[in-house]
Amino acid sequence: MGLRLYVCIMKTWFAEYYRSHGAEPAEASVLASEHELSFTWRTEDGMIKREQWNINDVTVKDSINEGSVIKTASVPHARLVIKGKEAALFIKDSKEEKLKPWHKQVKNKYAVRNAGIFLGVAGVLVIAYFLLVPWFSEKLASRVSIHTEQQFGDAAYEGLGIAAQQDERASAIINSFFDEMHIATPYAIRISVVKDNTVNAFALPGGRIVVYTALLDKLHSYPELAALLCHEFIHVNNRHSTKSIFRKLGSKVFIGLLLGNAGNVASVLADRADDFKSLTYSRSLEKEADLEGLQLLEDRKIDPAGFDLLFKELKRSGPASAMPEFLESHPDIDKRIAYIHEEAKGKDVEENETLKAIFNQLKINK
Amino acid sequence: MILTTTSTIEGRPVQEYLGIINAQSIIGANIFKDFLGGLRDVLGGRSKTYERVIEEAKEDALREMTEKAHRMGANAVIGVDLDFETVGGSGSMLMVIASGTAVRI
Repeated sequence: MGLRLYVCIMKTWFAEYYRSHGAEPAEASVLASEHELSFTWRTEDGMIKREQWNINDVTVKDSINEGSVIKTASVPHARLVIKGKEAALFIKDSKEEKLKPWHKQVKNKYAVRNAGIFLGVAGVLVIAYFLLVPWFSEKLASRVSIHTEQQFGDAAYEGLGIAAQQDERASAIINSFFDEMHIATPYAIRISVVKDNTVNAFALPGGRIVVYTALLDKLHSYPELAALLCHEFIHVNNRHSTKSIFRKLGSKVFIGLLLGNAGNVASVLADRADDFKSLTYSRSLEKEADLEGLQLLEDRKIDPAGFDLLFKELKRSGPASAMPEFLESHPDIDKRIAYIHEEAKGKDVEENETLKAIFNQLKINK
Repeated sequence: MILTTTSTIEGRPVQEYLGIINAQSIIGANIFKDFLGGLRDVLGGRSKTYERVIEEAKEDALREMTEKAHRMGANAVIGVDLDFETVGGSGSMLMVIASGTAVRI
């Protein structure tokens, strides 16, 4: 029953066709749709004729002796006689169906229901993709052991091929700078200073932080370096890289299950959706690293202006980006300066002579 | 209209052969059906979703063949044969071809 509703409703019967009063009946083959009755019959001279009656024009009588007797206003005195009640019922139902509002007509009713189910399932999948899969992936990521994270991080560091450019002396000094901040963490933080002209720094899973010399050259005070290291440290300590990797993997597995081999176009679209999703996520992680990093500075009474100066320096040295903020992995620098200003208001600051001395040593080394 | 897979109809001899006709229906199961079908493939058991798609495609093909036969003046199609194939890049669409001989009995 349900199935018939997906397709156009159609019925066929054999009938006796009387062209006029007292005429001999001819056998007719009737094809009935919701709009018309179409029938063919053979004339006395052997020709096959076809006739169509609009369903709105026909009248039907359900006779016990004859069956369904169908007449039309367009051909007076002609009648079709079909055995049984089925034809009469079909015509009656078709006429009633046409009088109903569109959304209550059988075919549309099921189309509306199917559209509802489709949207419902699509909604569930979208929620699963944007909320459940990332949540589950992060749960998995938080169960990864620190040792495994270290292996990930070391493999990534090796893979980048920058170990050869490492500045050993600067690395040793910067590590002692970080140790002097006395930040409690289960991770063994290993900071590498790498000779490179790129103004950048990043964190790898498991405790590795990489700072390029070009960025170090831009720093003028120890709070700036403290801000940079605290920001990267939060990425490590809050497992941001591991979570990002698991979220990306989770999305890939989910899309793979959903689309299977659904073709290149679908998978390219899914990839782009994934990129946008991970950009939003990475912006939220950057903000988390900024704010929690700021908290670390405040706890140690280091001047939070370090963040301010760092961002201003990054803005000056970075190429002017033509991309709007929603396409960037980091929040807009002006926005970062604004929320850091907001958070840093009225905090106690003390000069830390040890950190200052280590920082100066680093600059002298340069 | 009589549709039959046999080449004769009991008690109704063929008066006129009107020609061979065929009709086809190609239906794509949507991605949700593919997803549910994929789960069935993993979990085992009958996949009602795919069964319904096949049934729908078969009904469509037979309906179209009936209309073609009717337009030719036939009142029966004999020797009806149904073929089921998958088409499309990854075989994700289903094709049903109905063929037979339109006759006047």
